[in-house]
Amino acid sequence: MPQLSELTAAVAAGKRTDTVRLTQELLAAGSAPQDIVEKGLVPGMAIVGEQFKKNEIFVPEMLVAARAMKEALKLLEPLLASAGIKPKYTAIIGTVQGDLHDIGKNLISMMWRGANFAVIDLGTNVSADKYLAAAKEHNANLVGLSALLTTTMPAMKDTVRVLKAAGLSTKIMVGGAPITQAFADEIGADGYAADAGTAVDIAKKLVGQAA
Amino acid sequence: MISTTMTGCERVNRMFARQDQDRIPRCDTFWPETITRWQREGLLWDHEDALLFLQSDFQPLCWSWPAPFPQQKDLITQDAETETYRDAWGGVVRYWKGRSGTPEHVGFGCDSRAVWDKIYRPALLAAPLQVNPKLSALRYQKGRELGRWTHLSGVEGFEALRKQIGDEAFLVAMIEDPDWVHDIVKVHTDVVLRTFDAVLAEGIKPDGLWIYGDMAYNHATICSPAMYREFVWPHHKRMADWAHARDMRVIYHTDGRVSGVLDLYIAAGFDCLQPIEAKAGMDIREFAPTHGDRLAMFGNIDVMKMATNDLALLEEEIRTKFAAGMATRGYAYHSDHSVPPQVSWDTYRAIIGFIDRYGNY
Repeated sequence: MPQLSELTAAVAAGKRTDTVRLTQELLAAGSAPQDIVEKGLVPGMAIVGEQFKKNEIFVPEMLVAARAMKEALKLLEPLLASAGIKPKYTAIIGTVQGDLHDIGKNLISMMWRGANFAVIDLGTNVSADKYLAAAKEHNANLVGLSALLTTTMPAMKDTVRVLKAAGLSTKIMVGGAPITQAFADEIGADGYAADAGTAVDIAKKLVGQAA
Repeated sequence: MISTTMTGCERVNRMFARQDQDRIPRCDTFWPETITRWQREGLLWDHEDALLFLQSDFQPLCWSWPAPFPQQKDLITQDAETETYRDAWGGVVRYWKGRSGTPEHVGFGCDSRAVWDKIYRPALLAAPLQVNPKLSALRYQKGRELGRWTHLSGVEGFEALRKQIGDEAFLVAMIEDPDWVHDIVKVHTDVVLRTFDAVLAEGIKPDGLWIYGDMAYNHATICSPAMYREFVWPHHKRMADWAHARDMRVIYHTDGRVSGVLDLYIAAGFDCLQPIEAKAGMDIREFAPTHGDRLAMFGNIDVMKMATNDLALLEEEIRTKFAAGMATRGYAYHSDHSVPPQVSWDTYRAIIGFIDRYGNY
């Protein structure tokens, strides 16, 4: 029977075939699907996040790791669902109204999934009302707002205002090329992430899980 | 307006030679919405007027971003705000109606090596010339009459990859199908250089080549320096060698934090880096002393600071960065991206005043 640490190493290295094979072998040997996710796959993506923050790896390596995990999750999710096991935290993500940019948002989405968040991706050009409705519908722990353009920063501010005014306990994280910690503070966001690796740490802190 | 003693062409060439100039060379780009705002606030006509106020020294001649299906722009769907097309590269792209902004890439027609080999590669190689050499020659004459530094413009392999097969596919392919990535970059570069050869066949002698490719974001380069060196750099060098063999200087445009690859740019033969994005952490006060003797610095004036319309903040930004860049004699003014519509015409005129004040040798 393979060790969970082997699976962790395979995910971190982005070895998709090995990741799937090890997942199958662990399942066949009787490992619990939840353990495979939480003790095998998620630690692998955590390694990826740390390496990414330090510029030891770059976006291609992050993508292949996320793809490897995604393939493993295809095997595991039906088993988890039939056992009634869901990710502990749910995050909503989207690019704010007026902005069609999606690359940064997609990377954050991948990394959050890699940290075992359930992620609802609302896409681009998302209105404040749509964020609010989704946050309520999914009882989200976290809402992530992305903006690429200086001209759409006001839409980010408006969205934070609408979400805060609704009185939800949902935490709000912002990011994107023109966004800074100072701007996040100014508009009342709960967190700011400068990159996809940091976005996982901040997300965990915001929802109360140790980073 | 300050008095000048050199033509723009002389000024820019002397910048590349690190020789004294009367003032630093200047150029800028503006969002369309910025020009619309400025028209309401006193700008007479269009972006050309803005460049005249700035006294830009640069004259573009052509723009080469070859596509496999240059006439293709098929509307797929639209709503009140956006239109979604299949574009000339086979991608499905969603644009705003009536305003600028980065589009959403919904999908890519060229989604596998087999599709590239069968459809897109032969189409790109067989596509008709996508610039008008005679128009380029007319622009060249205009540039010479105005004393401007004339340049060809075109897109390099990294940006071509993104457009042709999408970020996720090409970045994964760098690891899982490297031969495909090599081939796309090579074919694209072949077609771009073939296009430039056709322009030069009109008998013109441009001063430079301005290569466009956004290969970084605010954290780092999108791929590692090693991957850049393997996949894209050889073709950057090929473009630079092509230009140098024709007595042209090379400007490379990229957004994002590229501090980790400056030495590779120099080794590729790039003579100048533009626009040096401040909000990505790029600061010529740091890089000009270490690299400015080999790589001219063009830009780095922070559009986020421009957008505040805080003139004291802008004066300090311009004064200190000009001082760092001008110490090498290898510096030209440009915003660090494109001037956004939050910037008033009065503010931009004040910026030109600061450029006049601090940009003289």
